[in-house]
Amino acid sequence: MMAARIDNGTPLERAAPAETIIDVKGLGKTFTLDSGPVIALESVDLTIRKGEFISFVGPSGCGKSTLLNMVAGLLPATEGAATLNGRAINEPSRQVGFMFQTAVLLPWRTVEENVLMPAEVFGTKSEATRQKARTVLEAVGLRDFMNAYPRQLSGGMQQRVSLARTLTYEPDVLLMDEPFGALDEFTREAMNLELMRITQAAGITVLFVTHNITEAVFMADRVVVMTPRPGKVSGVIDVELPRPRTIDQMQSQTFTDLIFKVRGILGHGQDSHA
Amino acid sequence: MAKTVTLDAEPVKAASPYKNANQELRYKLYTLAIIVVILAAWELAPRMGLVSPIILPSFSAVVGALISLMQQDFFLRHFSVTLTEILIGFVLGTSIGLALGIALAVWPTAKRIAYPFVVGFQAIPKIVFAPLFIAWFGFGMSSKVVMAVVISFFPVLINTLVGLESVPEDARKLMRSIKATPLQTFRKVSLPHALPVIFAGVKAALTFAVIGAIVGEFVGASEGLGYLVELYKNQLRIDRVFAVIVILAAIGAGGYFLLEWLDRKLIFWRTDAQGK
Ligand SMILES: Nc1ncnc2c1ncn2[C@@H]1O[C@H](COP(=O)(O)OP(=O)(O)OP(=O)(O)O)[C@@H](O)[C@H]1O
Ligand SMILES: [Mg+2]
Repeated sequence: MMAARIDNGTPLERAAPAETIIDVKGLGKTFTLDSGPVIALESVDLTIRKGEFISFVGPSGCGKSTLLNMVAGLLPATEGAATLNGRAINEPSRQVGFMFQTAVLLPWRTVEENVLMPAEVFGTKSEATRQKARTVLEAVGLRDFMNAYPRQLSGGMQQRVSLARTLTYEPDVLLMDEPFGALDEFTREAMNLELMRITQAAGITVLFVTHNITEAVFMADRVVVMTPRPGKVSGVIDVELPRPRTIDQMQSQTFTDLIFKVRGILGHGQDSHA
Repeated sequence: MAKTVTLDAEPVKAASPYKNANQELRYKLYTLAIIVVILAAWELAPRMGLVSPIILPSFSAVVGALISLMQQDFFLRHFSVTLTEILIGFVLGTSIGLALGIALAVWPTAKRIAYPFVVGFQAIPKIVFAPLFIAWFGFGMSSKVVMAVVISFFPVLINTLVGLESVPEDARKLMRSIKATPLQTFRKVSLPHALPVIFAGVKAALTFAVIGAIVGEFVGASEGLGYLVELYKNQLRIDRVFAVIVILAAIGAGGYFLLEWLDRKLIFWRTDAQGK
């Protein structure tokens, strides 16, 4: 599983102070229902640098999905604004890839055809994109399953196809809404490590939503802690653990301290596993 | 569309509902046994005087009537008239149902406006239109085709609408996130997703087209298998009535199995859990 490597394996220069890729200012969303307005998210300010890995944690209903959908351009904000590479986000962008809790594969398409679907939509399907798809499938360890149909794959494998589909069109930003939430603990851990390795190698900025505090801290450069009623950002915590991250780091005092810091912001009695 | 799966590595096998071929064979034998029992009862009941042969001719008498009927010169004409009515009615009904279903699914305003009519129309037992269609379109084939269309388009319309609307929210969101056009989303996601449900409607449409054509012929016709049923009933040649019923059953079953085969070819990705 860990044997696969992304195409050329160029290491990312994270050292240089990277430029801003996403800038969120006073972003908020109020849903107007028959029963009255629902404040899903209130005045979020966040500046994300290129190549950063940001985790979002918080209990159900604190607006994590709402925030991600707005950054994706899938949901209009009711207050504030967000920019991607300096341009206002008001519609989806091909520089942004979205991954869901479920793999959302088309069962009548093979793995390879699923991965190439965005290229078909973009009108860029070519020998080069096919080659890229093969490389990415290799990187996620699915080379031997290119011609399989989704129903022949396990849940973890399906989610890898979903990741490969997104990576194949080379987005600058990856938005992930509890992408591995439906997977078992072992598979999820393996997927997390793979995700970090791949996105770091390709220099992709990741916004990663999870219910799991340990996972959030382990993956991230910064953890955005959110609280509900109304949904808002209650704190942002820097995670200064060296990369590449290893499972051993979870034993360290620094790691434990960070977990407690997050818990502190969330309030007591908060479960790490939702 | 269909492709054979070739894998280097071992895929996860789709579980078969029947663990072994042995059991499947046993079920087939049971089915066969029931058929034999029914045919035997059918043969013996009139022979033993349990029912009058005029009311229920024996199985062998019906087979005899079937063979002699099929040898008549006029048979082919009546057969082809009814078959043509069914086929034209089915094709038109399916096309109209598909077109309307797609229109209502992709155009919410149209659905809002048209839905009460759709529901109202469904509530009417459409057979009552048969005399009206004869009056409007005459005793020829067109009145029967119209009847077949009117009762067969409906299941296709409803299933198309339901199928297209059942596309998972995440799949729509995925297509939006890659800026797919509505047409691309329709062709690549919605339509294939709806296909199994649409196909169930198409199968029902075939059955309804047969009913529509025959009912039309009952009400007023000078040709066709429905006309023959009426004719032989009036002549008390019940063995021939049964013979025509057997032929109609064969048309229905033949069409159904053809569609079933096409269904399996077209919707190759269907899992066992999704049912048939
Ligand atoms: N389309 C909508 N219409 C009305 N209210 C909505 C809508 N979407 C979300 N909300 C409300 O906004 C709030 C935030 O929802 P959101 O889905 O962003 O939470 P979340 O943090 O992603 O929760 P979870 O962890 O359960 O996924 C909730 O109170 C929810 O009820
Ligand atoms: Mg959510």
